[in-house]
Amino acid sequence: MSYIRQTQRAGLLFLAPYAVSFFVFAILPIVLSLVLSFMRFDLTNQSAAGFVGMDNYREAYADPYFWNAVRATLFFAIMIVPGLLVIGLSMALGMNAMARGQHQVRALIFLPAMLNVAVTGILWQWFFNGQFGLFNFLLKGLGMGPQPWLSDKGFAMPSIVLMSVWWSVGGTAIILLTALQQIPVMYFEAASLDGASTYQLFRRITLPLLKPVMSFVVITTTIAGFQMFGQAFMLTRGGPELSTRGVVQYIYETAFNSYRMGYGAAMSWMLFALIFGFGIVQLRMMRRTV
Amino acid sequence: MSRTPLRVINQIVMQTIGVLMLIPLILMFLTSMKPEAEVLNPENVVPRTWTFANYQQVLGWAEEAPFGRWFTNSVFISCAVTLGVILFSAMGAFAIKRLRVPGGSGFLTLVIASMMVPGQLFLVPLYLILSRLHWLDTPAALIVPATAGGFGLYMLSQFMEDMPKAIEEAALIDGCSPAQVFLHQTLPLCAPAISTLAVFTFIGSWNDFMGPLVFMDSVRNYTLPVGIALYQSSYYTEYGLTLATSVLAVTPLLILFALFQRQIVSSMSASGLKD
Amino acid sequence: MPFRTDWGIKGAIGVLATVVVALGIGRSLDSGVVPIGKQKVSLTFWNGFTGPDGRTMLEIIRDFNRENPDVEVSMQRMDWATYYNKLMVAAMDGRGPQLFVVHASTLPRMYRAGYIADSSSLYSGSEAIPPSDFDPYVLEQVKFNGKYIGLPLDIHPQGMYANADDLKAHGIVDSQGNAKLPANKAEFLAAIDKLKTPTVWGFALTLWRNNFQSLMPQFGGRYLDEQGNADLNNPGNIAALSFLGELSRKKLIPPPENGLGWVGYRQHKVDMVWDGVYMLGDLKRLEGLNYVAAPIPQIGPKPGTMADSHVLCVRQGISSAQRDAADRFIRYLSQNSIRWASAGQVPARKSVRELPEFAAMPVQSAFSKQIPYMMYPPRTTVLFELTLEIDVAVEKVIRGTADAKTALDLADANAQKAIDRDRREAKSGVTP
Repeated sequence: MSYIRQTQRAGLLFLAPYAVSFFVFAILPIVLSLVLSFMRFDLTNQSAAGFVGMDNYREAYADPYFWNAVRATLFFAIMIVPGLLVIGLSMALGMNAMARGQHQVRALIFLPAMLNVAVTGILWQWFFNGQFGLFNFLLKGLGMGPQPWLSDKGFAMPSIVLMSVWWSVGGTAIILLTALQQIPVMYFEAASLDGASTYQLFRRITLPLLKPVMSFVVITTTIAGFQMFGQAFMLTRGGPELSTRGVVQYIYETAFNSYRMGYGAAMSWMLFALIFGFGIVQLRMMRRTV
Repeated sequence: MSRTPLRVINQIVMQTIGVLMLIPLILMFLTSMKPEAEVLNPENVVPRTWTFANYQQVLGWAEEAPFGRWFTNSVFISCAVTLGVILFSAMGAFAIKRLRVPGGSGFLTLVIASMMVPGQLFLVPLYLILSRLHWLDTPAALIVPATAGGFGLYMLSQFMEDMPKAIEEAALIDGCSPAQVFLHQTLPLCAPAISTLAVFTFIGSWNDFMGPLVFMDSVRNYTLPVGIALYQSSYYTEYGLTLATSVLAVTPLLILFALFQRQIVSSMSASGLKD
Repeated sequence: MPFRTDWGIKGAIGVLATVVVALGIGRSLDSGVVPIGKQKVSLTFWNGFTGPDGRTMLEIIRDFNRENPDVEVSMQRMDWATYYNKLMVAAMDGRGPQLFVVHASTLPRMYRAGYIADSSSLYSGSEAIPPSDFDPYVLEQVKFNGKYIGLPLDIHPQGMYANADDLKAHGIVDSQGNAKLPANKAEFLAAIDKLKTPTVWGFALTLWRNNFQSLMPQFGGRYLDEQGNADLNNPGNIAALSFLGELSRKKLIPPPENGLGWVGYRQHKVDMVWDGVYMLGDLKRLEGLNYVAAPIPQIGPKPGTMADSHVLCVRQGISSAQRDAADRFIRYLSQNSIRWASAGQVPARKSVRELPEFAAMPVQSAFSKQIPYMMYPPRTTVLFELTLEIDVAVEKVIRGTADAKTALDLADANAQKAIDRDRREAKSGVTP
């Protein structure tokens, strides 16, 4: 049918701008870095550069610092993904049910997302400070003792997650709210006329219709969670005792402080494999649940 | 959504949450107006002595730090990036989800996979590519690669999938050209999602740190947040001063947001979607 | 309604496009390149002097530009960590500044990267800066394969700052009634004890790693052995670290989560700290703090402290005109290093230190007394890895999660791994 072919040809034209940019500025660097991961490439020793096959990957596999970083990153991701999804969805539902003032609350919730990570980090570093930070000051007022927010290994990562939730939940809530409001009101009216309870409305109408966007949120939050860098770097520099040093920070230090670009690239690809694996699992899970 | 007491509680809770999100920012601003001695004694939220000293210090760097230029750089680059991203992503999503371009879903999967590649990985190869193109130290280095990001395409594709295709399909079959359908049906229908994407993209571009830092050589080509961050005039964390620079870096964004808030927020809600 | 939204989104896109085009045109009109009348050699000069000392450097540059109208030096500064990243990425592509400052400790890496040009010409010829005007130990740091690859501008040791008023108030004074800073372990511990009040600490650590590294030479500690292998668990290091661990364990210093270090000193909450001479610039801007300085007290069997130097370097592959101008600037800076000293540095040139103006700088003079026994960071290409290991070890000991020997044993093993790996990978051996 020429109609189909005509639209398909138009499709190619419409996709072309993005596709060109994507191949030059996304695929090409990715391929280059893949090649780099099979090389020994030390910026301060370029004469010794050369192919080393899987050596970098073997080194990462045997590197306790790498696995320590993976553990830290996993710890963060496992807390942030459900955290952002649940809190974000609750906020979206809450805003959606507001009779008045929804616009204002929406704007307020979104405010933190406008700060960049450095500013947010400094602000929360000040909040968490053991001596003169806001939180311990408030705790003192309530009669409780100061908490080692960033200096105790058990507290540090949860504190980082707390900051990240404050910083990012606005974005998540807004996306979910936009999706929520695209659901035609008519569906809800018809169903509640039929006697459906609020819970049933949520379970049978809202959730299924939100699925594509929710799955988008879960995937992008997971990806972002695994790539966490700025938050920990600003708050703790990876401490205490490297317990919050995630994979991206370790890669960054390897590539830009130790100048070992090949090794850094290999670790990035291992991180990618991790993210990809998780992503596939999540996509499968989301497809199966209604 | 019928019980009134529940609604009232929800109203109160949501407004409280809104305020809670705002408080840290207010604190940031108040603390930046405190002299250093007070910053370390958090007994008073509101400064006992209000002082502009921190701001004076920051703005005192003006002889070597071109704030005005940095500001216009940021506006120019962020607007250009936003424009590029929403156009490319909308057109791409339209091609995949409406025009059934061959290989569309495979391409989308590739794009999503590319998002899983850690960002730092791109830095060095991108630097080399941009160098060969002679785009380093020019705005092109920050604008064009930003259009390759997958977030926009993925997001709009998901929203388009969620929306009924009936209107657009009908228009296409009726003989409207794809361009007409895109301009007159798709864009308006997707306005909420596109506005949301635009806001995210603008903010992300404004706050991008690594890009301007690595791809720009000259001081005059930095963006505002990067320029301000680099001119920290201390060897230790002077919170009052640092918070003042943060306030300055984020204020233009807040002002822009406040000005266009009505526009943005109203277009984010699906007033245009009828069934 | 649909009509309004229709206009809305396309209108918004239209507005964006207009802004972009307008600004784009505006910018290309104001390209910022001011046409220079005569043929000026322009040099870019990068460094990490983000503190008040950067302002001083700016002024020196301004004067140089004025006195040398055929040269234009423009400076760019950013915090040291970011600076090194940017420098290396630029270097990789053959771009970057013609002139730059690096710490002497980073030279092995920089040199091996092939980024730095030979600067031996500065030390010879008619306008030579005599090598004898530098301490041999300092000059050694810039010598690679028999060539000088830079000019040491300054030396910045760690020293002790104290709050003169508080010391006097607690009777820690000399015969004239001036504050007397402790000079040895006994006096130091006694002072900590006397100065402690419910709201004030006698002493606090600033940058933990630096404080440890300052004590290392006092106990005969070192980083590497004669073969260049890691020796982090040297008995001297263990003794030095144990001392700091004791201070923490006995609660003679604020608890780790406190974060009181330098800021606490500025706020009169800590009376004595050990930090670098470059912190002076921040003290000068402060009112109400009567600061006084001295060498780090001798806690161990001999005196010692940690130090490093800022070295002026020139990039490889610049034109001879630029090289000429760069050399002139470096000489100018070196001759005027007394001005640089006023920003909180110790000049590297002995002749400048003998000037009466230098003697009139109390803090810098006091810190300079440590030059005979200061110790620089190790001369190795895996400095970052080594420093990280030391960081983690020091952290463990101060937080009390490990004792000095265990922590340093582990640090030593890891550091050795890095050294071995680096040796393996370095084919064309450029031994630093």
